[in-house]
Amino acid sequence: MNEVELREQIKSIMVENLMLKITPAEIGDDQPLFGPGSLGLDSVDALQLVVALDKNFGLKIPDAAKAKETLQNVSSMAKAVLAKQATG
Amino acid sequence: MAQRTIIITGGNGRLGAEMARAFLRRNPEDFVWLTVRERRDHADQVATEFPNRCACITLDVTKPDAWKKAVATIAERSKTIDVLINNAGRHEDSLLATMSQESWSSVIAANLDSVFHGCQAVLPTMIGQRFGRIINIASLSAIVAPAGQTNYAAAKAGVVALTQSLAKEVARIGITVNAVCPGYVETEALNSIDAQELEAIRQRIPMRRLARPEDITGAVLFFASQDASYVTGAVLKIDGGLV
Repeated sequence: MNEVELREQIKSIMVENLMLKITPAEIGDDQPLFGPGSLGLDSVDALQLVVALDKNFGLKIPDAAKAKETLQNVSSMAKAVLAKQATG
Repeated sequence: MAQRTIIITGGNGRLGAEMARAFLRRNPEDFVWLTVRERRDHADQVATEFPNRCACITLDVTKPDAWKKAVATIAERSKTIDVLINNAGRHEDSLLATMSQESWSSVIAANLDSVFHGCQAVLPTMIGQRFGRIINIASLSAIVAPAGQTNYAAAKAGVVALTQSLAKEVARIGITVNAVCPGYVETEALNSIDAQELEAIRQRIPMRRLARPEDITGAVLFFASQDASYVTGAVLKIDGGLV
């Protein structure tokens, strides 16, 4: 799976798991997940994303620092998944 | 009713064992894991009564790493974790003025830390499946704290607060968190009270009897059921009208 396909899959997972009232296509690759101009997610959404990334891609996010780095936007999540896949 | 996986801590106590029996009798599809420590005779008895539907697992509920191992073992057999009942606990009563640091810390660990670790261990699975029922066995001591139980009452009040806070955190993920506060229940926890004192307690209870384990299991079955799907953060006292 290339990075574009991976981003699309992550967006679908987000819409389904977080029960977002938008379509995957409406989520920008670099749109912030939290804060001003963002998708408006909160800490409970972040918790669900951490579990979803582990469940779907085996990506473990062990601490808050790693979560902050990974959960910036769809692109950062996709990059973390690809990096994990590259290292096995 | 669909197949459910249920974890009951304190599985060798009378209440834990009776809760397991209640689930297993109510729903032939349920599978119950009873967590035990050194003693496991009562839990083994339940497993014998319900072959292939109940298993015992050794777990120190105060240790997060032990919880991780236990959940991994459970995941080898069970695809889901549907219900967690944090039932393990113990009391070690004394006046605060003479209470040792060890007594304070160990009772807080057994009754409150254990609930924190248990919830944290099962939540990733419950969040992933977008369903879960967590039922915490608190105590009437959380509501009306008696003298001589500063450690136990503080821990159980903590369990109530944890229940209400966590309930809000995970409500929209399909996970409910509720607590029951039993009064005096006919279990081994009352063994340290002499007969005369027990009779005096009985006379103070408007129903004039101690709770039987089945008085508690009914509420637990309800909180775990579909009927309670809109109930979360609830704290139910079961005390024969004592408070």
